[in-house]
Amino acid sequence: MTAAVERISAPDAVDPRPVLEARDVAVHYGGIKAVDGLSFALTPGKIFGILGPNGSGKSTLLAALTRLVPLTRGGLIFDGEEFHNVSPANVARKGVARTFQTVRLLTGLTVLENVQLGQDLHGAAAANGSPLLRRLRPTRTPSAGVSEAIERTRLAGLEKLRPGELSYGTQRRVEIARAIAMGPRLLLLDEPTAGMSHGERREISELLKDLRSEGLTQLLVEHDVQMMLDTCDYVFVMNFGKMIAEGSPASVVREPAVQEAYIGKRWREAADRQAGGGERDRGDEHA
Amino acid sequence: MSGWYDANLVLVQSTFVGLLLALSVQVPLRMGVFSFAGVGSYAIGAYTAAIVVIRWEAPALLAIAAGALLASFVGWLLALLLHRLGGLYLGMATVAFDLILSVVTTNGGELTGGPTGLFGVIADISMAQIIGVTLIVVLLLAASERGRIGRRVEAVRDDPELAAAMGINVRRYRQAAFVVSGLLGGCAGAINVLLRTTVGPADIGFGLVVLALTMIIIGGAKSWLGALIGAVVFTWLPSILAVVGEWQQIIYGTIVALAAIWVPGGVLGLVTDAYRGIQQRRRLKELAAAGAADVVEDHGADEEDLAVLEELAQESPVERQR
Amino acid sequence: MLQDLVNAVALGSIYLLFALGMSLAWGTIGILNFAHGSIFMFSAFAAYLIVNNVRLPMVAVIAIGTLVGAALSLAVQVFAFEPILRRAKDHRTAEMQILIAGIGVAIVPLAIAQENTKSNPFGFTGSSFKATTYVLGDLRVTNIQILVIVLALVLGLGLARWLQVSRNGLALRSIGVDSEVSSIMGVDRRRLALLTMLVAGGLAGLAGVLLTYNLGAITPESGEALILKAFAIIILGGVGSIAGVIVGAYVLALAETVVLTQTSGLWVDAVSFGLILLVLLFKTEGLFGRREVRRA
Repeated sequence: MTAAVERISAPDAVDPRPVLEARDVAVHYGGIKAVDGLSFALTPGKIFGILGPNGSGKSTLLAALTRLVPLTRGGLIFDGEEFHNVSPANVARKGVARTFQTVRLLTGLTVLENVQLGQDLHGAAAANGSPLLRRLRPTRTPSAGVSEAIERTRLAGLEKLRPGELSYGTQRRVEIARAIAMGPRLLLLDEPTAGMSHGERREISELLKDLRSEGLTQLLVEHDVQMMLDTCDYVFVMNFGKMIAEGSPASVVREPAVQEAYIGKRWREAADRQAGGGERDRGDEHA
Repeated sequence: MSGWYDANLVLVQSTFVGLLLALSVQVPLRMGVFSFAGVGSYAIGAYTAAIVVIRWEAPALLAIAAGALLASFVGWLLALLLHRLGGLYLGMATVAFDLILSVVTTNGGELTGGPTGLFGVIADISMAQIIGVTLIVVLLLAASERGRIGRRVEAVRDDPELAAAMGINVRRYRQAAFVVSGLLGGCAGAINVLLRTTVGPADIGFGLVVLALTMIIIGGAKSWLGALIGAVVFTWLPSILAVVGEWQQIIYGTIVALAAIWVPGGVLGLVTDAYRGIQQRRRLKELAAAGAADVVEDHGADEEDLAVLEELAQESPVERQR
Repeated sequence: MLQDLVNAVALGSIYLLFALGMSLAWGTIGILNFAHGSIFMFSAFAAYLIVNNVRLPMVAVIAIGTLVGAALSLAVQVFAFEPILRRAKDHRTAEMQILIAGIGVAIVPLAIAQENTKSNPFGFTGSSFKATTYVLGDLRVTNIQILVIVLALVLGLGLARWLQVSRNGLALRSIGVDSEVSSIMGVDRRRLALLTMLVAGGLAGLAGVLLTYNLGAITPESGEALILKAFAIIILGGVGSIAGVIVGAYVLALAETVVLTQTSGLWVDAVSFGLILLVLLFKTEGLFGRREVRRA
């Protein structure tokens, strides 16, 4: 992971060209408008969030962004280039990594090998020397990118295990390690902390924030509002395929439309308390 | 020792041919491509080599190369034609392809020798050449089972969508499966015709599909080693069973049926699973001793979540630190 | 010409009876039973063994064949396919393993019959039934052919109707559409699966006996050849559609008869293989089949 140029992470600073832009994107499945006219821009070096209840179209949107699902309408621009006709494999090669809502690891491979799968892509781009020989040499000593990914997701010591032997939360960490090992420009995470303990969630939140400070742009689809509040710089809220609100997490959570949809009064009060008694709460957290 | 070798030369040769044939079906299967076109490639390889030797007296290696290359080219065409099919349908389409080939050779008139086939395919082929070809093949395949390609093949087989998300060109890999299958089958067929000096429609029918399949089932479909085990077993089993006389075929069938039902991973699968099971148990014990709490089903997280829900119900969501 | 047509219809009827069972199993419980051909042949073979010692009328022979077929098919389901289904990690692997197991299982009855008859044809010469030929002008039709055609159509259409109308039929179709949901809805998958395989086997046995009577004799290898034709029929008609099987069976029989009469007999088999490839390439779901919807 190379530290890119230091980015200003305040939401209203003048931003350079967006990493990913969606223009009036729609995905219709015969009658169902899963995504209906969404437009947004992901500026570099920030963590964006997509909040929405089940059925709001978040996962479909992610699938559309990675080209697993075709767009019915609209366009996607990645790093200034048109994106919506690119194959999923090329999406990955251009530097978009993702994790999945249901953990998708290869059960026949070890943790190390699963992470290496991510780095294989990175390695291909950086390969010098005869490609054939490089492929034939069995990779015994994991290269730098892989060990770093494993370190940062706290998987050290578990390399030889197989996914079936791990807890759900740990499996998710392997997925994240694999995505990081791809050395991506944009990281899409589909509910990455589902099934994790609170300690793990906090660690992941810290990890994502570290990655952000190294310049990695991220888009987080999350259910856990606290995670969203802690991690994201800017949040888009979806319902029924449309965008119903956007802004900083604290402000979005206070919008009536959003609360009506699915957060409930409790969280508005929580956000109020957090904004108002911010210091006191943070002090409690570290007690 | 040399006495045994001479007496069993035919069987030893057949083992090599069987190995290549089994590999021609195993390689695509390993990639999740249910193609049995390897058997058709065998036919193409055999007939091509036969024709090339009979008409132009080509030397052995050239004949093998011709057969293998033509078969791999046909494999590439098949890949283009059948790329939208998967699973059972692909399997059936390739079996249909194999059988059409056998009908074509029966009706091929002078070129293919019709129902009686071709004979007099005489070219010097030495054991060293056979071993050489096989060795190169096995080395390349073994290399493809490890490292970067090995991982990617696993991805293409187990989760093609994930493979695409990892930047793997799944279509290219599947095409390669067909081409390699063609190469291997073609080699097998060509070598066999040079050894036996004849080939006919009876040699390339459905029975060959069954043979290739059973070699892989018994040996193990995951690796070239499984194909080797299968080839050895099936080449030598009949002569071992010959002792039993009339019951031979019946026992043969029973073994295959039982293996298909109870030991789908074949001999290799059994051994690998056992080995892994032992290793796994050892590792888990070590980790548990070291106190690594996140290995194995961790129910701690569930309890924490329950506690959170309880607290939420009491309307104090922010203070949920434990 | 008309004679060829009659022969084709009779042939198609045999194909129909054979393919009906396979299609039923495949379209509803998703089991492609490769041992179907062996069961077909072995039912006839069992009947042959009995009839060699006891002079029986045709009805009895048919009954024996049907029962043996049903029993064998049930046994294969219970001892071969169910263990695989229980232990497989997903449906795709199970499909493949069932296919392979079927191939393996098929070897055993084949070997037994081959051993006994030394691969020579066997027939029901011991039966008290005598074939009579009716002559209508240029046309010669045997009573066996009439029986076969009538039975095939009755059973084919009857099965189609039963699937549409009866409760069990509906249950079966629901398994075919979505197995998990159907079991949530209270469908006893296991019982229905056993019933399906029982019926499929019975139909195979029936077909075996009738074909033997029709041709006079069959060889142990006859079953193998039919399996591939059944594939072609089911693929052509569309998996899951009984109407498709009916149409497909007669289309194949007609096509083969045309090829047989216009060219030499050696291209006949290619018809079924060619059909498989053509359909799979251009219209994978066949004439009446369901569109396979893959969820993203």
